[in-house]
Amino acid sequence: MMWKDSYKVGVELIDDQHKELFRRLSEFFKVIRGDGSWEDRMAKVKETLEFMQEYVIIHFHDEETYQEEIGFPDLENHKFIHEKFKKEISDCAKTFEAGEMDEDKMQEFGGKLMTWLIMHVGKADQQIGEYARAKEGQA
Amino acid sequence: MKAEYINFFYQATNDVFKLMLNMETEKKNLSVLEDMISSKDVNVHLGITGDLKGNVLFGFPKDMAIEMIKIMSGMEMDKIDSFASSALGEIGNIIGGNALTNLSKNKYVCDIAPPQVFVGKYKSFSLDNEKILQLTLKTDIGEFDISIFLKEK
Repeated sequence: MMWKDSYKVGVELIDDQHKELFRRLSEFFKVIRGDGSWEDRMAKVKETLEFMQEYVIIHFHDEETYQEEIGFPDLENHKFIHEKFKKEISDCAKTFEAGEMDEDKMQEFGGKLMTWLIMHVGKADQQIGEYARAKEGQA
Repeated sequence: MKAEYINFFYQATNDVFKLMLNMETEKKNLSVLEDMISSKDVNVHLGITGDLKGNVLFGFPKDMAIEMIKIMSGMEMDKIDSFASSALGEIGNIIGGNALTNLSKNKYVCDIAPPQVFVGKYKSFSLDNEKILQLTLKTDIGEFDISIFLKEK
């Protein structure tokens, strides 16, 4: 399992969504690294890319709304990073739809995505929880 | 080349290892090389441009590289496929990015070229007499090297 409790932000909604994101991505990575012909696995790849595109929009929206609610100071920068990520996913989906993404290229995308996501959730998102807890402490 | 540059990369490496692999790194050995050489199996190369110009190379033994990706992905893994190689490249990229952010606080503004991953030994001959610093780090899953050559503009 890719998810680790050390990635918890401490905000239930965000943590639940992160867990779901990690769970679906773990499945996706298994498919793109799996055995059997690439053609047979393409349907699952297509399905995950579609899910990812929809789910990151929902998740980023919820996360940004929470950041706004608590007055998180680095919101604009965090939003910018989210936008960049959304674009990476949609660019990948477009390239895949155009038939220009073979197994190797999809694995390359997957490896980068995993590392990026762990870093984002493990570092940048932690600041949301830290800020929320510090604010609660002051109240 | 100033020896202090390597500390920025060591600090960034340690931070990223702690976060991604829940693991500390320990400085084992620092040596001076004539050429950018790595006897390790998997090498991640970063090109640096800007106020400082040069190269950074992370060299991992194969077993350690595989173990790193296993820890991160929670998946079984027995070879460096495109997934693992790309993940390792991105780890190098993140470490390099963090080190450059810290260097920029010291007034050095630099950019980083997309990482290149070489599976197999790496050797690049130096064209001038500049020395390369190689730091060997110890972790619970093996030892790896960071080799650095950076020159002020």
